[in-house]
Amino acid sequence: MGGGFGAYLRRSIALAGMGVVSLFFAVAPANALPSFARQTGQQCAACHNGFPELTPYGRLFKLNGYTFGGGQSNLPPLAMMIVEDYTHTQAGQSGGAKTHYGPNNNFSLNTGSIFYGGRILGDYGLGAFVQMTYNDPARSFHWDNSDVRWAHATTIYGNETVFGISVNNNPSVTDLWNTTPAWRYPFQSSSLSLTPSNKTIIEGTYSQQVLGLNGYVSWNRLVYAEVGGYHTLSQDTDMALGIAPNGTDSFRGMAPYWRLALQPQWGPNSFEIGTFGMDASINPGRVTQFGTNDKTDLGFDAQYQWLSDVHRASAQVSYITEHQNLKSSFAQGSSTNRNDQLHSFNAKATYSYEQTYFGTLAYSRIQGSGDPGLYSSTSANNSPNSDWWTVEADYIPFNHGGPDFWPWLNVKFGLQYIWYTKFNGATTNYNGAGRNAADNNTLYGFVWLTF
Amino acid sequence: MTLQTDRTDATRANFRWAIAIPLALVLAACNAGQPTSEQSAANEQSVVQGTVHVCTSCHGFHGRSVSPRFPNLAGQQKDYIAAQLKAFRDHTRADPHAHTYMWGMAATLTDPTIDGLADYFSSQKPAPGTTGDPTLIAEGGKIFKDGIPDRKVPACQSCHGKNGEGASIIPRLAGQHPGYIADQLDNFISKARANEIMHENSKNLTPEEIQQIATYVGSL
Repeated sequence: MGGGFGAYLRRSIALAGMGVVSLFFAVAPANALPSFARQTGQQCAACHNGFPELTPYGRLFKLNGYTFGGGQSNLPPLAMMIVEDYTHTQAGQSGGAKTHYGPNNNFSLNTGSIFYGGRILGDYGLGAFVQMTYNDPARSFHWDNSDVRWAHATTIYGNETVFGISVNNNPSVTDLWNTTPAWRYPFQSSSLSLTPSNKTIIEGTYSQQVLGLNGYVSWNRLVYAEVGGYHTLSQDTDMALGIAPNGTDSFRGMAPYWRLALQPQWGPNSFEIGTFGMDASINPGRVTQFGTNDKTDLGFDAQYQWLSDVHRASAQVSYITEHQNLKSSFAQGSSTNRNDQLHSFNAKATYSYEQTYFGTLAYSRIQGSGDPGLYSSTSANNSPNSDWWTVEADYIPFNHGGPDFWPWLNVKFGLQYIWYTKFNGATTNYNGAGRNAADNNTLYGFVWLTF
Repeated sequence: MTLQTDRTDATRANFRWAIAIPLALVLAACNAGQPTSEQSAANEQSVVQGTVHVCTSCHGFHGRSVSPRFPNLAGQQKDYIAAQLKAFRDHTRADPHAHTYMWGMAATLTDPTIDGLADYFSSQKPAPGTTGDPTLIAEGGKIFKDGIPDRKVPACQSCHGKNGEGASIIPRLAGQHPGYIADQLDNFISKARANEIMHENSKNLTPEEIQQIATYVGSL
């Protein structure tokens, strides 16, 4: 075990201890509730089709500002999450998968998070999902996905209309469907395997490095529209929030974000089709004297869910095309072309039985213009292209309620295999040093605990 | 989803934020919310309206639901709705859906709010009947009207009314989702939903007969 099992165990125990301390803290009397499940008194399966994928009811819970109630618990709306995992890649990574880890077969305490999830001022439609995360491979504690929102429901011409405003830190973290980048599959992945080097800006490139203000409206539970603007945080703020400021970019002005979705529902079927996007003028490395890189992402997505009590199926697909005008990078000599394209495609299908046993198959593809300046450090043929399949089996024993001593506990046992047919431009020798795409094939096991 | 990220060199100072931000939010939450017991009658109406908004997330606008997993409430008998909400609140109704959704939803409902909800949904226009396989409807209609005497299955209409309209604590069946009706009959048979009368009435039904009855009442 290259990761040092003893050290891993010590850190695991320390984090578990932190969780226990937090539980004692959480039982202090309060007139609010410690998680969505406690707030609503409902089981995980009411809102989640295998967490974190949302059911139609889960989407309405989020749309309405995380304020729906019902539960009797007096605990504050805090929750904890711990993910412990094991990573095996087809070929090891010489020098170690990361600092403190061996070349292969690493155990790690992937994530430990504290959440504030639920009402802030429920009577006024104000609620929040705020996540603080400790990532052991990176040895860092930082703010993670966060969405503080106000929502108000009213009736306009006889139809339910919900308005809302969100302050958040990741483009698409506000979204209701599991097709857009912040909440799409994979829901859990290794921090210790090599993954394709390139993604569009809306796919988490600036997650937690920006602050955004978004306004949204939902009409008749059929049409959803959202617009927002994001701006990068200062390096000092990054530092304070646990985000390493070195190498971060800055936006010139506000980067607009938009989202439009149509969601017809009939019988046990729920379908969504939509578009989303973002446009940013970026100072790479915060260097301003060479102008900006202007990147525009345009995404299209669709989701289908068929939800019965015993059998459930869902499928998500999204396609993002990014146009890159690389004025600044070109002037600085870090890109060869003035203009590039990058495209991202993701599709995933899941079947579940009794909300307990889950099987998932996913396909992902990144494709774009070759550019020696941009890609020569990661790709021998200067290409961003990657292709891979993922298959995953999950067991969620407590989706319908946890053990008596803590009924809000839930756990997901997952086993995932990723099979790369192309990695950073090639199937064989993609890095010019003899490493093949298949060498990064990953067997990943995890235990995802929430309470 | 970026539940794990790859930030290095983060300072220990950020631990202060890690504690301070959730703490501030918790303190805000601790001061939020007021006891509902002291609300006036006018406020009660507002509570009912707000609760109706939550109910309709699953039960559909005006209580006419889209998904067969959730029953139509529009036009349901007022006394039946109130009795069921109290049974969810008291955990005396304990079928799987009750556990997943309704125990939580009903846990903090007061009697006046339950009355207000029952009033609202019972006065909404019922969902129209749905078309189904004519053979199933015909067979289901026979059982509904005549029962199956040799297996001690009484006619449904003897309690639920000639048109499936229900009465007081006997629920309206007309226009209900066939899938929901079938699930409930299964629950009565397995005793997942405790009701001695309905258990006795339905325990001798075959799955095919359940489908026929469900399709018939759904078409009313």
